[in-house]
Amino acid sequence: MAVRATTQTRSGAKSTPPREWQRLKFPESLYNWGGLLLALVFLCYSIIYLNIPLERVSNMFGRVGTLITERYYPPEIDYVLEPDYLSSVFDTIQMAYLGALFGMMMAVPLGWFGAYNMTPSRRFVYPLARLIAMSTRAVHETIWAILFVTILGFGMMAGVLALTMFCIGFAGKLFAEEIEAIDMGQVEALRSTGASELSVMVYAVFPQVRVAFTGIGIYTWDVAFRAATVVGFFGAGGMGWYLKRNVLQIETHRVSAILLSIIVLVLISEAVSAWARARMAKAK
Amino acid sequence: MIATEAAARQAERIIAARTKAKITHSLIYIAVLAVAIWCFKTTIIDDTDWARIGSVANVLESIGEFLEVDWGLAANLWEPALETIMVATLGTLLGVVVCVPAIWFGALNITPYAPVTYPLARLMMTLSRSIHEIVWGLFFVAAVGLGALAGVLALAVRSVGFIAKMSSEAIEDLDPKPVEAIRAVGGSEFKVFIYAILPQVLPTMIGVIIFEWEINIRRSSILGLVGAGGLGLVFFRQLNTFNYPGVTTTILAILVLILFGELVSFYVRKAII
Repeated sequence: MAVRATTQTRSGAKSTPPREWQRLKFPESLYNWGGLLLALVFLCYSIIYLNIPLERVSNMFGRVGTLITERYYPPEIDYVLEPDYLSSVFDTIQMAYLGALFGMMMAVPLGWFGAYNMTPSRRFVYPLARLIAMSTRAVHETIWAILFVTILGFGMMAGVLALTMFCIGFAGKLFAEEIEAIDMGQVEALRSTGASELSVMVYAVFPQVRVAFTGIGIYTWDVAFRAATVVGFFGAGGMGWYLKRNVLQIETHRVSAILLSIIVLVLISEAVSAWARARMAKAK
Repeated sequence: MIATEAAARQAERIIAARTKAKITHSLIYIAVLAVAIWCFKTTIIDDTDWARIGSVANVLESIGEFLEVDWGLAANLWEPALETIMVATLGTLLGVVVCVPAIWFGALNITPYAPVTYPLARLMMTLSRSIHEIVWGLFFVAAVGLGALAGVLALAVRSVGFIAKMSSEAIEDLDPKPVEAIRAVGGSEFKVFIYAILPQVLPTMIGVIIFEWEINIRRSSILGLVGAGGLGLVFFRQLNTFNYPGVTTTILAILVLILFGELVSFYVRKAII
């Protein structure tokens, strides 16, 4: 107060009246609190609408505890070491490998068409490629698995195709984003010499994104492996089938052993993929 | 003389390195291809019941069954779609609540006792990310019974890994100066958290949470397969009654729902950040 008083007397003229400092000013505060209130109302309404028994939430922790200790606790490790199960694990790895490979093969043109700076036609091809990438990714991999099992019957082919569909969208989106971030100078240089679009792609775009594509490829395999552990749940091959069988037979000790094996395998695949990506970044 | 010799030697070295890189690359390509062919043989050629599939015409015929759309079903899809979104929202919010300790323990610069709490948080994140939502759904259906609650819990547990990982990385990257400033004027640990840490990581966290919500819509649309309601249940019923046009309608509804989620998340993130 004192400081302001002296400045006012020194300048003589009356400056703008002092404003009360507020964290939120009038319209913003209304929007913020209103939005929060709406969210809260939606929350309460959805709890009522979904008929969620809140009284069960309180004793849920005890129930989950007893469920784990009494039913799941000693995992039947011998079961996951049986040759049958191990061969299914092997099948799962193969399925993930093939699915990721096929998916990426189709994702490369999709990434090209879906990158805004390189797409052959911004009006028709670009939205189409984006739509394909969005819809293959949006439909969950288990739905793809069920659809392919319905069409092609039980077996690993359905699983491979389901993973392929999933990887197309996943890798296609990342590829397109990678191509959108390239240096356009080389593209212009090649275009000015009259090179065709394909040559521009091969000699100007591809060398720039090769390393990134390989990294995305390894990551796609990692994600596909995680998805591959459950596509068998609906009859598409791999270890998911063992999981489903034991869940239905309420062989809980075996289920917990299978879950443990999935966790270990995912950890291994994550470590391998991190190692390969680091190795490749170094070799670049 | 010496200069040209040195240049020649350098050129030789470069050529040798290039040949070596070329050989390594071709070996990697050959290995990838060989493994692919072998996998193709064992998984697709040997493991497929070719008699069941029959000719190409049969396959096309069974694909053709899906190409119709059962518009009559569309009116009945509003409620399951709403349920799916609600399960996704509640699951994400519960996931945010559950992942607070994981974020706290998982950021190396604020974790209370690094040798114990940091690996614990990492374990929580890996456990949540490595187990598929279908499996979590089965587990919680066994624990709390059929219904939306099992789906909400499954999504919450499944969301912890991603939210906690991204948020704790954001906390690890934050600028320590505001923290020191608040400490220097005598602010308590709580005030440090509220006024120095939270404002810095809040935009990232909100972005991550909205992104996770978008993914959770995709996930909650299939949790009905294990008994947690929503569009997945409709899908399952239509498939079991062999109403293939209905299956297509349900998948289209899921697509529309996810497109809606993507639009909402795009605009909300643009408004906040």
